[in-house]
Amino acid sequence: MAKVESPQVSRRTTRASLNSTPNSKAPQEYSKATNPSRPLTIKDLVFCGESISLDELINSFPGRRAQILELVQFLGPLNSPMIPLFVYGGASTGKTSTVLYMFRHLKRPFIYCSCVSCYSPSILFESILNQILLHRKNESGGYLSAKRCERPSDFVNLLGEALTALIDSLKGNMGKSSPNGSMVYLVFDRLELVREWDKSDSIIPLLFNLYTLLKIPEVGLIFISRASLDTFQSDTGFVEPFPVYFPDYTDDDLKQIFMSNQANPKLYSSFLRSVLSQFYRITRRVDELSTAFSPLFKKYCEPLGDLLAVPNGDMESKLYRHLQPFISLYQNETCTISSQPLLKDRNLRKSVFKKSGVCETLDEIDFHMSTSAKYLLISAFLASRNPATLDASLFDSTGGTDNRKKKRKVSEKSVDQKEAKEQEILMKGPGTFPLERLLAIHQCIASVGEYSLDDEELQNDGLRADGSDSGSMSDILLQLSSLCSANFITKGGSCPLEGSTRYRSIVSEDIVLKVARSLKFPLSKYLYRR
Amino acid sequence: MGVENPAEVAKFIIRSRIADPLFVYSYFSQLPDSNYSKLKYIISSSVTEACNNSVLLLGPRGCGKTAVLELVLEDLLKEHPDMISVVKLNGLLHSDNNCALKEIARQVCMEHQLQFSKMASFDENSKFLLSILRECGLAHKTIVFVLEEFDLFTEGKQRLLYSLLDAMQSVLSQAVVVGVSCRLDADQLLEKRVRSRFSHRKLLFLSSPGEDFHRLAEHILLLPTDSRLPNDFRASFNEKLLNILAGEEFKRVVDQLCYSDSTVSHLLRFLFCAVCHMDLSSGSLSIKNFKSALPSIQRQPKQEALKDCSILQLHLLVCMKRLEVKEVELCNFNSIMKEYKRIRDSFETVDYYARNICLRAFEHLLQRGLVSFQDSRGQGQSAEFRPVKLLISWHELQQGLQSFPSCPTILHKLMAREG
Repeated sequence: MAKVESPQVSRRTTRASLNSTPNSKAPQEYSKATNPSRPLTIKDLVFCGESISLDELINSFPGRRAQILELVQFLGPLNSPMIPLFVYGGASTGKTSTVLYMFRHLKRPFIYCSCVSCYSPSILFESILNQILLHRKNESGGYLSAKRCERPSDFVNLLGEALTALIDSLKGNMGKSSPNGSMVYLVFDRLELVREWDKSDSIIPLLFNLYTLLKIPEVGLIFISRASLDTFQSDTGFVEPFPVYFPDYTDDDLKQIFMSNQANPKLYSSFLRSVLSQFYRITRRVDELSTAFSPLFKKYCEPLGDLLAVPNGDMESKLYRHLQPFISLYQNETCTISSQPLLKDRNLRKSVFKKSGVCETLDEIDFHMSTSAKYLLISAFLASRNPATLDASLFDSTGGTDNRKKKRKVSEKSVDQKEAKEQEILMKGPGTFPLERLLAIHQCIASVGEYSLDDEELQNDGLRADGSDSGSMSDILLQLSSLCSANFITKGGSCPLEGSTRYRSIVSEDIVLKVARSLKFPLSKYLYRR
Repeated sequence: MGVENPAEVAKFIIRSRIADPLFVYSYFSQLPDSNYSKLKYIISSSVTEACNNSVLLLGPRGCGKTAVLELVLEDLLKEHPDMISVVKLNGLLHSDNNCALKEIARQVCMEHQLQFSKMASFDENSKFLLSILRECGLAHKTIVFVLEEFDLFTEGKQRLLYSLLDAMQSVLSQAVVVGVSCRLDADQLLEKRVRSRFSHRKLLFLSSPGEDFHRLAEHILLLPTDSRLPNDFRASFNEKLLNILAGEEFKRVVDQLCYSDSTVSHLLRFLFCAVCHMDLSSGSLSIKNFKSALPSIQRQPKQEALKDCSILQLHLLVCMKRLEVKEVELCNFNSIMKEYKRIRDSFETVDYYARNICLRAFEHLLQRGLVSFQDSRGQGQSAEFRPVKLLISWHELQQGLQSFPSCPTILHKLMAREG
């Protein structure tokens, strides 16, 4: 996930990095020791470092005033019991960071676990128990957790014991001017991922009923999820927690977020004025907008010599005209992160000048594939795309040339019907094929390729496609398995009648066209539909 | 002591009351002829007469079955000390036979200070159970087995239920099995041999109507005499509260609350929200708190998700709706793009976005829960080809479009006509 420019810290930060205040220039000293051999104490469950006031908290999260106040009121003063809380909203709306910063403001002990890093029940249970038992996985212990815990019954028992022990020690500290209270809060993040686990129908009611199962009033539960409560299906239901909703940011909130921490506010605001409204129609997520805006802003500032200049009216329109062709390009890039930025830049300059408006894709594939793998990919694509009955006519002994000696005059209606059927097949997606068909097609086109490549590559003494035998069988199977693991081809279940596994090619036509072009293979001749 | 402190103390007292189910349901114990008294009679009679018994507590979630049971057990433990021991099992955790026996052994060992071995096998645990039942029977001590989420124990072979109920048939044992379930047909789920050993006693817990809420709210919200509270503050708080509770507006709010869900736990969440919003400076609850708590409790997640959509996503939703109206057989991303293209060709005011951008927006719709795949397993197809379905109705979509700020008028037009 891209790092967000705003003071809202990216969701993946750990507690240690959140110890620094968002707006200060000088980095705070981390009180959490990086020394791994130091044992954990109860104080590590609370944020160290300087505290922030409520106003600072509200100012760090523009547009979240109502939600912050509601959360703080819900948690209440020190040691007041609460019913479980369910915080939900779209992605990148600041749920996790708001909750964590709120704990920084309130300075209360809490345990945080995310269902992204704890991707199975046993890991989730053990992570929570480790944090409560103040156990750190280190080399001396063989990186083991404090207790092995796989079953929910063990988890509830161990959790109850650990929590009572922890709360007793917190209460014992109360005399020694420890203003952190004697309540412990458990924060479960990304709860919507639990729905896809194997045992989700028992884990989801278990988590929601945890408060009633534990029967400890000094525990507060906070669930954070991207999906609302009605999407958590359960046969017999569960105890419903109290919902708090985080809506997406409005236009003005987004402006405020992007404007903070900018070196040249006036320049950036003129940039936002021209760009935000167009991107706002597509997406309102902060992470996607920031990935699009950072390179766009660099492009916007290119004609300006001095980055601190304040643009006036003509300057603005000139900058906007310079930016115009790149906007639609970057609209497509709101999610992709290129692996080779330099190569992309160079190619972009070439391709943008070809056509403006709709974004241009690169002409070449930007990863390396061996020639035999390319042929295999093309044959898989053809096998998925064309119905099996046409193989004989397409791949006959003349090398697949268009064999239309007998042309019957077809009526308009049947042509239309045929086109509609072709469209249907296209809509349904790629079909499956057995291994034998793939090998047969591969044999045909590899031999064709050999003929066409022969003349052109005579001078190229280097690695030639091994077209004489189409490679040995084991090579092809190896290539096939590597294509499968690269997710170009998927392996489906076996057909119950035939009993062999079927494959499906899931690459898009663009990539296959590029691959065919690099081999100088006439792909369009073999496609069922032109 | 200024005005702040008593209000904070009051808030704290009420919050702890709401979060404590035993206090809440102690109200019901005062009513005559309630489930509390019936349950108490059943268990106490089997204790005093040294016989076996079994009973099922049924009712929707949040009606206080477990809480009433806890109250009964608490009272009975006070009345007959040393004659009752309690073993609590939960269907969510202990539905597996081995797990359940291990848990029974653990709890019995903890109570009687015996050595508990985690490595004990299933046979050893079951023998232990039988011997414990025999011993307790000889000592005239009743064991109460509480089985929560009873319907989850009826999955599979029901071996635990059979062994428990079968063990109760012997003359020597004294046990009461109390099952708690939210399925009203839990007893129909029992196997024939288990059902024949079950006494078919059922207590139904139904959610109470509106007037009961009134008195329950009074029970929770009226402040007791407490050393931390000054008397005049308490008196004025209670008086203002009684005025509010008797008023028309509060009745209307409670009626609206009970339309969707009239269980006690729903009311408790509502009261908790109202109390959290209590203004500390004024020092008392006002009707405004209750009114503002109502929309926080009654959420409409699909409308909220619609309001958070971007304009492109609204276009995609409208295209899907039109496809649904036309009853197209196959609705996947490709067919939606075709419809989108058709709309773009007929109306020039519709924006044009490339396929990748639309696919991204479509995936966000999937994550939001407004659209979902028709088959839950992938079959290895990518997101563009799998059939999808809309999870919102025409009416909801129209409502969402109308309340959307700056919704393009073209969408309203497209929703209105079907061509």
